[in-house]
Amino acid sequence: MDSLDAVSLSILLGSLLILAGILSSLAALRFGAPLLLVFLAVGMAAGEAGPGGVPFDDVELAYTVGSVALALILFDGGLRTRYATFRSVLAPSVVLATVGVMLTAALTAPVGVHVLGLGWVEALLVGAVVASTDAAAVFFLLHGRGLRLRPRVAATIEIESGTNDPFAIFLTLLLVEILAGSQHSWPEIAAGLAGQALGGTLIGVVAGRGTAHALNRLALPQGLHAPFVTTVALVVFGFSQVVGASGFLAVYLAGLILGNRPIRAHTAIVTFLDAATWLAQIVMFLLLGLLAWPTRMIWTLVPALAVAGVLMFVARPIAVFLCLAPFRFTWRERAFISWVGLRGAVGIFLASIPLLVGLPNAQLYFNVAFVVVLVSLLVQGWTLAPAAKLLRIGVGRAETPPRRVDLDLPGQLEQELVGYHVGANNPYLRRKLVPSWAKLALVVREERVLAPEEAGPIRPGDYVYLLVPPEKAFALDRFFVDMPPVRAPDSGLLGDFFVGAEITLGSLSEIYGLGIAPDERDKTLATWFAERLGRPPEPGDTLPLGTIALVAHRVVDERLASVGLRLVEPEPPDPPTGRAARLARRLRRFAQGWLNA
Amino acid sequence: MPLNDLIAPQAVIPALKVNTKKQALQELAERAAELTGRTEREILEVLMQRERLGSTAIGSGIAIPHGKLPKLDKLFGLFARLDRPIDFEALDGQPVDLVFLLLAPESAGADHLKALARIARMLREPEITRMLRDSHDREALYAVLALPPPMA
Repeated sequence: MDSLDAVSLSILLGSLLILAGILSSLAALRFGAPLLLVFLAVGMAAGEAGPGGVPFDDVELAYTVGSVALALILFDGGLRTRYATFRSVLAPSVVLATVGVMLTAALTAPVGVHVLGLGWVEALLVGAVVASTDAAAVFFLLHGRGLRLRPRVAATIEIESGTNDPFAIFLTLLLVEILAGSQHSWPEIAAGLAGQALGGTLIGVVAGRGTAHALNRLALPQGLHAPFVTTVALVVFGFSQVVGASGFLAVYLAGLILGNRPIRAHTAIVTFLDAATWLAQIVMFLLLGLLAWPTRMIWTLVPALAVAGVLMFVARPIAVFLCLAPFRFTWRERAFISWVGLRGAVGIFLASIPLLVGLPNAQLYFNVAFVVVLVSLLVQGWTLAPAAKLLRIGVGRAETPPRRVDLDLPGQLEQELVGYHVGANNPYLRRKLVPSWAKLALVVREERVLAPEEAGPIRPGDYVYLLVPPEKAFALDRFFVDMPPVRAPDSGLLGDFFVGAEITLGSLSEIYGLGIAPDERDKTLATWFAERLGRPPEPGDTLPLGTIALVAHRVVDERLASVGLRLVEPEPPDPPTGRAARLARRLRRFAQGWLNA
Repeated sequence: MPLNDLIAPQAVIPALKVNTKKQALQELAERAAELTGRTEREILEVLMQRERLGSTAIGSGIAIPHGKLPKLDKLFGLFARLDRPIDFEALDGQPVDLVFLLLAPESAGADHLKALARIARMLREPEITRMLRDSHDREALYAVLALPPPMA
């Protein structure tokens, strides 16, 4: 019975450890510490050298868990990436993800030779291991802080971090193979790389399309859609790896394709993967933390710091500036992209491969990678917001995204129902306008469910439910962001130009070409507003007129005095996308539920 | 999107000396007439027609007079930084020193509206207007107008 007890004990200890990781995130969110760092720290504390004293050196287990976690993270990253974003920055991101990784590795290698006393191939391996930026770390730090960047910059950084992992993995495996003594000629190596990339792409595309098709055809029991997709992702990963294609590339592409097609149970799948990647990430970081030997790391601390320094201040900036030279970015943007080269679990995970294979110096690679990741998360992670400020790259104020309830509507894929709580001050209340693709369906007020006609004007405190195409739901978030009270009335929100309300619709149409019906041409704007609203206007009331919108501006004695012209429908401001933003939100919600219980 | 697709470098006036709104519109119409090959009178008439509906000053010292000119071949922009701010009947009462004039062909339709909205939104950025006010020659002003707006 002892062995059964041992199993129970390890389940207890393991789950307690994960619980500690989850709860520590509360502290991390409060103090703005990089969350991933906290997970690593908890793992290290529980490990051999920490107070936990748990002996753990199962590299194989860590590698397996790491692979599964990475596959899920990449799949999830693909699933959340919109083609539009992907396409707009594909060229710069892909150059960064391939040439950039290679340059970074090559520029870091001299430190390995001169400071660590390694051979060139070994030094290159050190460079390759720490060359890729980490999607999880980047997403989380960019979004978790409510930092808003110019969309092009944010998209470049995100797509780069999502696509450079497969390449860094290629490079690492290649170098490990060479060091392990395999005799391959360069053409063979190149062919191998091309085969991996091609195979991964092919499998990813086929799997993405096939999964979307299967999902919409098979009548799976409710609740099994999400596990189905998640398992398929792992099958795709495993299959690719077995047949010698790049599994990481395949899952990323499969996710990308699946995420951009109308599929059943989209919300459920995204939610499930959210939870799954969170858990995968926590477990991976805890295991990698456990695997570390902080006491032995002291010996390599100084050379490892040298590697980290060169990586952050020399290799990455040079690689970024060279790779982005053909593209249109300002030097500030390039500098910022250089600084956001956050390293994360991938680095440590890659460093565990030499351990697994049993290369000489394997321990050294691992220790160096571990220190580099720690330093990167600490230094770059914590200075991200100040760096954005210094380089004047942030846009607008930071906002916390609103909570959105997503409801699938069975029977069709085109629309879903999303719900928001209407705060006291948000763009929706101010403009009384939602994009034309969203339709108000229900209003919940004081625990009563009302149709929009019954409810009349929306008030603060209401819950509103809107019908939207699922892929656009996130774009609505910004209309319901709670904003600090405005200092002065922001006339920019009311209109691009202002006109008196006693002019006629016809005179306005002559200048702006609005297509007004002949019988309305002689009406004044004030009369037209009063007729359309059926009540005295209030500043901010918005009515569409032809292709533009008119906004009540000044009202004198219940009659309109001036009108704002909004010439173009407001762009839904950039959506807070990214897995990490959602993860942070979910975690916060989870934590609050926890505290309330 | 930067505004340099709407305006040519020679359509930037670094220090226009005028005293009244009417004089400003006249001067601008004259410059626009030189560059478009239309008469000053028809351009001024189009601009005045729009001003009668309400001032095109959008606040914070900026005005964007505009109108439709039949048989123009494409959107035409002209930018002037005034030597001394003048009253432009703005809603916020602030005197105007930055003027962007936009003339659109009869057929421009949605492009006209989009261009106007783009100009208005770009010139509402305090950072942009600060840079415009700090620039004193044609090249520098044009460079600012060619900047991508911070809110892309």
